[in-house]
Amino acid sequence: MANLWAQIDARVCLLGRAITRNIEYTLRVILMVYLALRAAVLDRAQGFRTIVSVISAQIYFTGWQALPLVSVLALTTGSVLVLQSMANLSLLGGTQMIGSFLIVMVIREAGPLLVALVVIARSGTAVASEIGNMRANREIEALESMGINPLSFIVFPRVLGGVISVLCLAFYFNVLALIGGFFLTKFLQDMPFSFYLDSLARGFAKEDVFIFVAKNGFSGMIIFVVSCYQGLSVKKSPHEVPQVTTQAVVNSVIYVTVFNLTVTALFYLNQLQTLGVV
Amino acid sequence: MSAENLVAKIESMKFEGLTFAHEGQDPILRNTDFEFPMNEVVWVKGVEGQGKSSLLQVLAGLLIPQSGFFYINDQNVLDMSFEEFLPYRLAIGYTFDYGGLISNRTVYDNLMLPLAYHKLVSLTDAAERVEEIIKIFDIQKYAHERPAHIPGRVRKLTCLLRALVMRPQMLLMDDPSVGLGQDTLYTFVDYIHRLREEGHLKHIFMSSYDEKYMSLFNYQIIHIDEGQIYLQTVEKDKKVVHL
Repeated sequence: MANLWAQIDARVCLLGRAITRNIEYTLRVILMVYLALRAAVLDRAQGFRTIVSVISAQIYFTGWQALPLVSVLALTTGSVLVLQSMANLSLLGGTQMIGSFLIVMVIREAGPLLVALVVIARSGTAVASEIGNMRANREIEALESMGINPLSFIVFPRVLGGVISVLCLAFYFNVLALIGGFFLTKFLQDMPFSFYLDSLARGFAKEDVFIFVAKNGFSGMIIFVVSCYQGLSVKKSPHEVPQVTTQAVVNSVIYVTVFNLTVTALFYLNQLQTLGVV
Repeated sequence: MSAENLVAKIESMKFEGLTFAHEGQDPILRNTDFEFPMNEVVWVKGVEGQGKSSLLQVLAGLLIPQSGFFYINDQNVLDMSFEEFLPYRLAIGYTFDYGGLISNRTVYDNLMLPLAYHKLVSLTDAAERVEEIIKIFDIQKYAHERPAHIPGRVRKLTCLLRALVMRPQMLLMDDPSVGLGQDTLYTFVDYIHRLREEGHLKHIFMSSYDEKYMSLFNYQIIHIDEGQIYLQTVEKDKKVVHL
């Protein structure tokens, strides 16, 4: 019996330690966001041109260069959803609901998640390994020694550029998935485009704008803040770079999916409350 | 605030009860009290692993001690934020024993970075200063190459020169002579003497194992040993004095 209690005690300790570690990690990441913002505001030396050049480079790498991959993903996802929804809604006799269904699926759920996963895979890894290598090569220390705050020079422009890129990519994804998906499957279905467009317009609500901005904006912020944090966590050796890059991907995926789930859950709870169900 | 006001004047430096240790290691500085000699070239000596590089990094504000006080001009700089410490940082040049060049910028851009960023001089003056230094050290053909594409000697030299283009009051150099080559080394020492004559680099602290290189300076010696710092006067008849 004593042995059983000892085992339970050890498990509880492990669970407690894991929870504390995660809370500490989250607080550290949030602290870095605050310090980066503060540094960017207080840094009187960093000119507008310097920030804009780093932001535009980040938008080019994260946004522009990801367009081919996002295009393929948007067209295929859009096509699959259009075909599946038409087939199933026709069986149930609710074809006019296609717009609402696709808005929910593409704009609220699939879009933010798929775009975030693409950005994590392409840019989160790139940022974490770039900053990790800078750390190992003592470039971060060098910046500090020159009086250049790495948080305003390295972190802030990457996070801002990342957020702008994710918002633009998500908008592009949604338009291409909803419109491109329809035309790509035109030879498999005979729905008139005007009916489809009208259904989409009826399904679109002002809450979708809020969800779009919240999910994509914060996902972008989470990805780049976590990646920068992981990159900066390299101590000295280049062998740590692949480890922190993997950790950046894992943590970004967890944070982004949990965040998306939370926003969705809160939104639907709010809807249920409005309807008087809860 | 004008550019000149951004840089603080460093007149004295003092440790009081300062303790510093790298994570999970024995302390490099243990409750150390020491007043650093100023307006001198100071040779930081110590056995391998005693913490010469760490001491220089603490002086540069790159490593933060766990406890104690580090006074510059009677102000404890350990309490300062990055922005508050900036005027002192701009008065301090620091050079690494290895690494430290920004890898996605060319040699020219690396040299321009601190000048252009802080706008302490106009961009034209900054460019002139950088071009002059590139010419003196005869590295024109590498000026527009990135660090990965240049020889190790030029990488090391660029790292040293980047600290010098700011013409700081205090220069901290970690093993500056390693990997430079004899001719470059002499040119470098000449350049340091020239800048000192012009009124820059008032306080120089450097660690080195190269006695031949150090013999090119009139220096004072400080030893770091088992967590304490000692000043050794260079006159032969005087013993090592623990301050």
